[in-house]
Amino acid sequence: MTIHNIYIFNKNGNLLYYNEWNRIKQTGMTRDEEAKLMYGMLFSIKSFVNKISPTDPKDGFLYYKTSKYTLHYFETLTGLKFVLNTDNHAQSVRELLQQIYNQVYVEYVVKNPLIDLAQPIESEIFKEKLDTLIKLSPIYFSKSI
Amino acid sequence: MTEETIFDLLHSAVVDYVVQSDGKASENSIKADAKDEDLSKLEYIGFFTGYRMIERLTREMPRFKDELDTMKFICTDFWSAIYKKQIDNLRTNHLGVYVLQDNAFRFLTKLSNGKQYLDLAPRYVTFTCGVLRGCLANLGIESIVTAEIQTMPSCKFHIQVQRPC
Repeated sequence: MTIHNIYIFNKNGNLLYYNEWNRIKQTGMTRDEEAKLMYGMLFSIKSFVNKISPTDPKDGFLYYKTSKYTLHYFETLTGLKFVLNTDNHAQSVRELLQQIYNQVYVEYVVKNPLIDLAQPIESEIFKEKLDTLIKLSPIYFSKSI
Repeated sequence: MTEETIFDLLHSAVVDYVVQSDGKASENSIKADAKDEDLSKLEYIGFFTGYRMIERLTREMPRFKDELDTMKFICTDFWSAIYKKQIDNLRTNHLGVYVLQDNAFRFLTKLSNGKQYLDLAPRYVTFTCGVLRGCLANLGIESIVTAEIQTMPSCKFHIQVQRPC
């Protein structure tokens, strides 16, 4: 009961993919609106973090945490953004995000010539592989303490 | 990035190019739907690739005993040279028809593992049909090669040997 949902944005801020596993509370707005809000916030946090950083920021924004959940953020050099919400006990989510990028996105989206990289992902095999990876991950099963 | 990836990407770019240039040509007459796309150019590119490739691959090979021996070579050595794996199943009726089955055909593994995109799948096997025809042609076997896809990523190649009457 620990991975809540995932958002994948491209470099222009369009939502490429969204899926949820254990999301109990919904926002009540449409998915599009929610994605825009999410992207806007990420964009602001990113520039805020980079501006306010007293030293060279390097990786920049990594995650934020509330009392109930943690939002993990991973951006590739090409501007692709992966956002994963988990509970606060999740360990090594960064590795998982790397795996999602390397083993699922690159393999089944980039190497699939039928997918337009600017459009939301419709491929069944991508959805399937992502779901398997998430469900096999120890984070998905980790018990809250 | 591995050498395979470059081949995969180049192959899909070639497919895309051929499909688009044919689409433009036929747009003036009748809008061709995906089912009867003209992929003969792609097949021809494959033919030349296969024709030349076999020359290099077989330079140190002993003579083949018969047609079946040639097919076995195609299924093992030739297939592993391009697709890094062997054909999973070879069947024949001993009358010149051979069926080569690949359960995870490389150009289809990333596309889908079911029926999604099935109507566009022929684009990605035509080149290989040409390659097969080309290499058989250079080994002295005239043939017609077609492909059959039921569920991806598995694919069957039907080879019909044309016998001189």
